[in-house]
Amino acid sequence: MLTGTWQPVRINSLLPDSHFASSVYLRPSLFQIASPLHSTSVPPSSRSPRLNWSEQIDTGSSVVNLLSISKDSTMANTIRLYLTCIRNTLEAAMCLQNFPCQEVERHNKPEVELNTSPELIMNPDLICRNEAEKCLIETPINSIRISMKVKQADELENILAKKFLRFLSMRAEAFQVLRRKPVQGYDISFLITNYHCEEMHKHKLIDFIVQFMEDIDKEISELKLSVNTRGRLVATEFLKQFI
Amino acid sequence: MAYFNGGSRAVVDILSKLRNVEKPVPVDHSFCELGSIRYHIQVLESDQENIFFSISTPRLSQDEPNPNGLADFILQDIKTKYLNFADIIQPPKEGYKLTLKLNFSKLTRTKDHTKAINMVSSLHVAILNSQLKDTLKNVWMGDIIQGSTMPIKLVNHKQEPFFVLRAPKKITVIFPMRFKDESDVILATSFFQELADLGSKFPKAPHCEWSPIPPQELRGEHFENLSTNGGFVSFGIFKRHVKGKKADKTAWILLNFQQYVRYHVKCTKGFIQRRMRYRLEVLSEEIEQARIGGEAKIRKESTKQRKTWLRFSNSKKMKRGIKAFADQIKRLRLRIKIRGLGRLHRYFFHVPKFPALGWHAKLD
Repeated sequence: MLTGTWQPVRINSLLPDSHFASSVYLRPSLFQIASPLHSTSVPPSSRSPRLNWSEQIDTGSSVVNLLSISKDSTMANTIRLYLTCIRNTLEAAMCLQNFPCQEVERHNKPEVELNTSPELIMNPDLICRNEAEKCLIETPINSIRISMKVKQADELENILAKKFLRFLSMRAEAFQVLRRKPVQGYDISFLITNYHCEEMHKHKLIDFIVQFMEDIDKEISELKLSVNTRGRLVATEFLKQFI
Repeated sequence: MAYFNGGSRAVVDILSKLRNVEKPVPVDHSFCELGSIRYHIQVLESDQENIFFSISTPRLSQDEPNPNGLADFILQDIKTKYLNFADIIQPPKEGYKLTLKLNFSKLTRTKDHTKAINMVSSLHVAILNSQLKDTLKNVWMGDIIQGSTMPIKLVNHKQEPFFVLRAPKKITVIFPMRFKDESDVILATSFFQELADLGSKFPKAPHCEWSPIPPQELRGEHFENLSTNGGFVSFGIFKRHVKGKKADKTAWILLNFQQYVRYHVKCTKGFIQRRMRYRLEVLSEEIEQARIGGEAKIRKESTKQRKTWLRFSNSKKMKRGIKAFADQIKRLRLRIKIRGLGRLHRYFFHVPKFPALGWHAKLD
């Protein structure tokens, strides 16, 4: 572990609880450590005393908060780390295969939406940048659902994000992998099935998801700036009428 | 600013058409604008030279002495301004506050005719401005009790009242702002905050304040008048803002402030929509590239576009156009030849040769 700098940490049980092995990895900025463990949860001794385990989801997955950031890290660094963490998680999680529905004959449905067979659904991962921004990745055998909560600092960003993400969700057919309705508690959700993985390049799909997250943040910031600039210009022209 | 040019386009259109028509025909037009201003234009068969123009404007204040007509000072104002081509008909047409008999035959020049039509289209501006100026004058001369006069409620557009009251050395105009949508409230609030912040940059403009709660001056008003979601915007109008010709402009701007804010919010929402559409297109192109074979498809489409351009550039018309342009440049070169400045001449007047796009070299 690097001293003086907290790094995003992802704890992921890729295989369901019934299985024997799970993997834990820490990804500092300089090097990557992968160590297979023989238990489904991380034993206390291997946990870093400096990290705070903040949330536990009912299904047993772990959550890491980027709570302590060193003085040297800037906003750009944290978003880079956050996106890198998500990218690595997706690269590990996007191993999908065709799996017919166990409930209904001759049907093939994304198991993450059905949620009837717990043995097919892995532990979900929750990656948090801070209290307001997080990403939930749920991976059953034949599909992956990625839900995101976008940063909304004030009321204006709140309505801009709401409008923009609703606009995109209503036109989900243009994106194919976008869900029309986000998962409760999140702003936008993607649903990627094994069929999408067959039609598209996996690495490009992951690039798209990460780029999407970056673009959303950038677009909302630019929109906010533009709205404020427009307001200022209009107010200036209005007051000039009296002079 | 174009928004505050108060003339009615419909009136200008109708009066221009009546002027340009070859054979005069009887006309009877009734229409409504801005939700509360009603017009009636009539040309009788027996009297083709005169146009009867009736107008009805909303009642600004409940305390108006003559609710079915206009006050004498307004009629006097209109008489002096529209003397050349209009006569006031008393009593006005039923349901309207003012009827004018227009006769443009005395105006021989087109310029005067156009000016007259524009003045008629701005009649509602003149009436409302006169009413507001009179109200402001009464407020100015009113007694100040406890630092300010009692607020006077004025209504220009339906269900959008605003208040006028006198403070020491100034008149305060307070606009309660109401919006239907939550997003409209937030967009308008950011605009009001900018307006309030810019007060220091424009010391000559009226001082503007915004507050989410009713100001102290409006205590005692009915609850329905004070229940808003957009807060309260106050303007402090001083004597310099209502001096001479500025009075009309200030009055008209104040009368239309609430509509102006709505217009700004609407334009901002349109701008946001355009940005979102652009971003959608960019993102959907990216997902297309992720498809297996998606890049080849995009390359095909760009090749198709290039071929269309090549076909266009190969066409005879395009060649003739380019030749004519090159000849013009050559003629310029020949005229402006300066002895001893050959290098400069070559640098500035050299016609570059473009490589042939997609043209194949002929093999001998």
